[in-house]
Amino acid sequence: MRIICFLKAILDPEAPPGAIRFAGKVESGEVATVLGPFEGNALELSVQIAQASAGGFVAVAMGDAAQDIALRKALALGAERAVRVDAPAGFQDPLAVARRLKAAAEEAGGADVYVFGRQAGDWDMGVTAGLFAGLMDLPFAPLVQHAEVVGANLRLRREIAGGYEESLRVAPLVVSVTNGPLTLMRLPKVKDVMLANRKPIDVLQAAAEPSLEIAEIAQAQVTRQGRMITGDAAQQAAGLAAELRRFLVAGGGN
Amino acid sequence: MRIAVLAHLQDVGEAPVREAMGLMAQLGGEAQTLLLAPAAQPAVAAMGEVRLGVHAALADPDPEMAYAAALRLLGDQAPGLLLMPEGPLFEMIGARLAGHFGMSAVRDVDAVELAGEAVVLRKGAYGGKAYVRVRATGGVVAALRAGAFPAAEPPAGSAAEVQLGELPEGGQERKTVRDTAGDDLGRAKVIVSGGRGLGSAEGYESLRPFARMLGASLGASRAAVDEGWASPAQQVGITGRKVAPELYLAIGISGASQHLSGMSGSRLVIAVNRDEHAPIFEAADIGVVADWYQLWPHLQKALEG
Ligand SMILES: Cc1cc2nc3c(=O)[nH]c(=O)nc-3n(C[C@H](O)[C@H](O)[C@H](O)COP(=O)(O)OP(=O)(O)OC[C@H]3O[C@@H](n4cnc5c(N)ncnc54)[C@H](O)[C@@H]3O)c2cc1C
Repeated sequence: MRIICFLKAILDPEAPPGAIRFAGKVESGEVATVLGPFEGNALELSVQIAQASAGGFVAVAMGDAAQDIALRKALALGAERAVRVDAPAGFQDPLAVARRLKAAAEEAGGADVYVFGRQAGDWDMGVTAGLFAGLMDLPFAPLVQHAEVVGANLRLRREIAGGYEESLRVAPLVVSVTNGPLTLMRLPKVKDVMLANRKPIDVLQAAAEPSLEIAEIAQAQVTRQGRMITGDAAQQAAGLAAELRRFLVAGGGN
Repeated sequence: MRIAVLAHLQDVGEAPVREAMGLMAQLGGEAQTLLLAPAAQPAVAAMGEVRLGVHAALADPDPEMAYAAALRLLGDQAPGLLLMPEGPLFEMIGARLAGHFGMSAVRDVDAVELAGEAVVLRKGAYGGKAYVRVRATGGVVAALRAGAFPAAEPPAGSAAEVQLGELPEGGQERKTVRDTAGDDLGRAKVIVSGGRGLGSAEGYESLRPFARMLGASLGASRAAVDEGWASPAQQVGITGRKVAPELYLAIGISGASQHLSGMSGSRLVIAVNRDEHAPIFEAADIGVVADWYQLWPHLQKALEG
């Protein structure tokens, strides 16, 4: 199967509170740029489908050169080619993103399976895969946890409310990938990482007019004035047990 | 501006649909409610004047089926603003409909204003560390956060049924499996959640007797789900369940903003973490800096005694 895997590098989503400042703009300070975790899941699923179907995958990202770390991860895990759709860093209208990714997909000759992460941890839009499917007029299977290659088709396990769905779906199609033990990203070999650093990244120009823009950005986290239960483990346990008992006596509990 | 609400009553329940209808009424203009349902049930009758697409298979819709049904309800003219409750239907088809109609899409919306021909929507970003207002000028599909808008009494009237005809089957050999592990998280008054800090599946299991003592339901961080210790239905956070119990206990969870986004509505938060600098302590009312495995034997004794 031919696969196109869409990736995004983002500011470390686990950066501690306050490390990134939001006041009219994003001030990233010392925070590192990393492959988004759901994009890591998407990359893993792409590798699995490519291997199981004796096919291959192309990795596509959009943004400035900071995106190359995402593409190099893909190259180290066996991507045949890496393409970056050139764009400035920062917020982009997801519809315009999907349009530009469509142009990149067409340039790459199309695919049987288009793989996205369910949500990038910067703007938390979580809509690009669906928009892309709508633009391409292709079926869309969201929140995939596992894929098995069955001939030219895929048996997909998808997260649904309160459980999962399994079904056989016909390619071509668009999927978004969610987290779980079966989509944990594998680690590349050191040798492959070094080789990947020497491989080219193709830069593609593709334009699309945005119809969504940021009007305001501000800090949001609410913190609580907590107090600590101190002492040795026995004292802490006694203090915590007292709190829990107080809560239960006050009528809390299921 | 033409505004429409699109929802599947079954997947989110009545309240979020009424909230979307309330917002639509408040924004004014030409309004329409489009509902999908497996049958014309009493719940539908209670929603007043709506266009209703009925198909038995909508009891448990495949994404392709839901998409085709929604397109038939919408016709070829999309509204300028399409409001959908955040939930399974939006997940399956919201953004795809937007792409089809050349509209943009925004999820997790908790405020909406009209500004001439533009729509300004507020949503969280960076895992809840920030919020943004985005201005949409070319039509937008918005997924509304549950509870963010006041519910409205539906307008008087009755449902007009729209013939959906044959719907595509979508996936073949389809089966859906219920995962009961996270079933009661939404209703639970007490939740005990475990994270990567528990170190192993057996470690996560050690929360079970603790939860039983408190009559609590078991939740998990994304990391605990990734490890396979807990099921995806138990994931609490921005891409998991949003919970608001009276008491939330976070054990071995660092407190990443994406996790906090799912439990910040809890009344009392207690955190146990061996790292005194863990961000969870800034989101907790009561903190215990301790190794869970040293604390638990004492705690068990103290609670049993
Ligand atoms: C778009 C996006 C969406 C996401 N959605 C979610 C979501 O819905 N839910 C979610 O949870 N995460 C989500 N995440 C992931 C999130 O960023 C974190 O990676 C995750 O929450 C970390 O889980 P954790 O706290 O269990 O693990 P870690 O961050 O590894 O924390 C483990 C903690 O355990 C403590 N610890 C270690 N040993 C012990 C011990 N013996 N006793 C006590 N404490 C101990 C450590 O000090 C540490 O603080 C999302 C990320 C992104 C980018």
